Amino acid sequence: MAINSILVIEDDRFIGEMYVRSLQRAGYTVDWMVDGNDGLIAARNKPYDCILLDLMLPEKRGGEILQVLRGQQDLIPNTKVIVLTNFDQDEHSRLAMEHNAEAYLIKAEITPKKLLSVIEKLSAS
Amino acid sequence: MEVKEKPNQRPQFLRTFWPLYKKRVVGLVLGLQVVAGLSIVLLYLSVDRQDPYLSWGLLSAILIGQLVATYVVTLAILRPLHDLSRALVHVSGELSSDTPPSLNDDYYKNSNLRPLLQQIYELASKEGSDDSKAATQSNSAASLPAALNTTSTGLVLINAEGQVVFANKAAPVSVAPGGDSKLELIFDVDQPLEEWLVECRTHDIHAEKTWKRIANKLPGEDSRRIFDVFASYEKGSEAEVVVTLFDRTLDYSPEEEDLDFIAFAAHELRGPITVIRGYLDGLNDELASAMNSEQKELFNRLIISANRLSGYINNILNASRYDRRHLQVHLSELTLTDIYETIADDMQLRAKAQRRLLAVNFPPSLPTVAADLNSISEVLGNLIDNAVKYSNDGGSIEVDATVSGDFVEVSVTDHGIGMPANVIGNLFHKFYRSHRSRETVAGTGIGLYISKAIVESHGGKMNVRSVEGHGSTFTFSLPIYATVADKINKGGANNQEFLEQSSSGWIRNHGAIRG
Repeated sequence: MAINSILVIEDDRFIGEMYVRSLQRAGYTVDWMVDGNDGLIAARNKPYDCILLDLMLPEKRGGEILQVLRGQQDLIPNTKVIVLTNFDQDEHSRLAMEHNAEAYLIKAEITPKKLLSVIEKLSAS
Repeated sequence: MEVKEKPNQRPQFLRTFWPLYKKRVVGLVLGLQVVAGLSIVLLYLSVDRQDPYLSWGLLSAILIGQLVATYVVTLAILRPLHDLSRALVHVSGELSSDTPPSLNDDYYKNSNLRPLLQQIYELASKEGSDDSKAATQSNSAASLPAALNTTSTGLVLINAEGQVVFANKAAPVSVAPGGDSKLELIFDVDQPLEEWLVECRTHDIHAEKTWKRIANKLPGEDSRRIFDVFASYEKGSEAEVVVTLFDRTLDYSPEEEDLDFIAFAAHELRGPITVIRGYLDGLNDELASAMNSEQKELFNRLIISANRLSGYINNILNASRYDRRHLQVHLSELTLTDIYETIADDMQLRAKAQRRLLAVNFPPSLPTVAADLNSISEVLGNLIDNAVKYSNDGGSIEVDATVSGDFVEVSVTDHGIGMPANVIGNLFHKFYRSHRSRETVAGTGIGLYISKAIVESHGGKMNVRSVEGHGSTFTFSLPIYATVADKINKGGANNQEFLEQSSSGWIRNHGAIRG
């Protein structure tokens, strides 16, 4: 499934801008939400091909958003979810989240260039 | 005023049994003696004493007869004692294949032993009767809540309507204005107790679940306690859910604060690093044509420093997890090349920037290993980074691998400053910095400590050989995947079970790693 539209849910301005910049340069259509509530509303109202989801978000944590979107039933079956966090979660929460997402990445370890290659990989799968 | 009967009279049981018994015993013993004595006297008077054979023979016969008679008489005397002891064993409840004697026998009737034995057996049956059972039960029920209130382990019973029907003193429950009690716990995990219960009620007859490190209050609040919570669910039972809470506040508390602090500090540090690494990577490409070679060199140093910083944070997080026994490795089938590729660009850049020659030679014939990609690439990165730091300008660094038994052994060799023998023993200690490193080389002194821990939690070993002035070789071993594949598959994604099942020595230390 080809990925064209991407929702970025990220509260850090610099990081958000950096991702948006590199994704747009690579030709993706990008929406960016800075808090959890807006992010969840956007994710439910528009069928994105891919969501980049931060965890430590204001209003609503990324974990809660993922729980709503994928917990009981998969509300976004045609969307790839990439969890992007710098927070070192405990093993248990991390595994639970990996289960509901297509990728789980540490932001500090992923440059935009690497992120693009991950998205391409998901796009091809 | 009531006058008590004087106890000068003998109890009735003794009055009926004892005199008769005494009379019989005395009669039997005396009778036996008299018969024996008379027999000897008669023998003495009547037998022809000239015939020694006859007199000796008769004497022997009398003696044997007396022995037999003594035996029979003694048994008869001891019989009540035997019956009484059997009866007492029965009352004591001790297991025995003995059946009670039939008390209607003439023997018991005639000897007056029957009422005595009957009384004893009745004692036993009384103890087992329903009335007395109920009495003991109500006794223990009365003391049970009191006993439960003295323990530090919380116990909460919840009925099918979700109401708390019992909670002992140690259980963290809050009472709502309406009088309803509510379990006061903050489940910061994916499936809190309530959700689990909902699932149990729809799917399960019997279920159990354990939660670790569950606090009743937020950090910083008064009387905050941290529990390991165990819940069991039994459909249709009066107390449908039994929740047991082990108060682990003392075990967890200081660690908990550290954990929060380190995890949050790392989160904060990683934010700026994300931006620095991200833009450095992007700008390096975008500005490639605009920079001269010196600027490119300086740019590479920025990239290397940002990468190192990121690596140090990972080391600190891993060491913190390890110290807290939270370090877990997720083994999968990998080639060493898979592992090295994740850090190859970074390592080559570091070697090049400090003018070292990094030669990585993993023969394609090497078997696959069971490894956690992230942690082992951090181990390899730490070792190569050390080799770069502690070797000389223009020096070469060789990374090789060979098969050794059930393991693949990876070695990282430098030809740099090396170490004296007395340093090697301390090398893997936390915060230890090598003798010359304090002034000249940056680092946290945590890299080797955590690398060793990671390798050991894979079941491997880490070693070092070094000659001062000639360089060092660090080796670490990883299990060949084929040798542990069965165990990994059995253990599922989380290989905890597999690690714990493995026998003698090959997972050393696993007890120290898992909490």
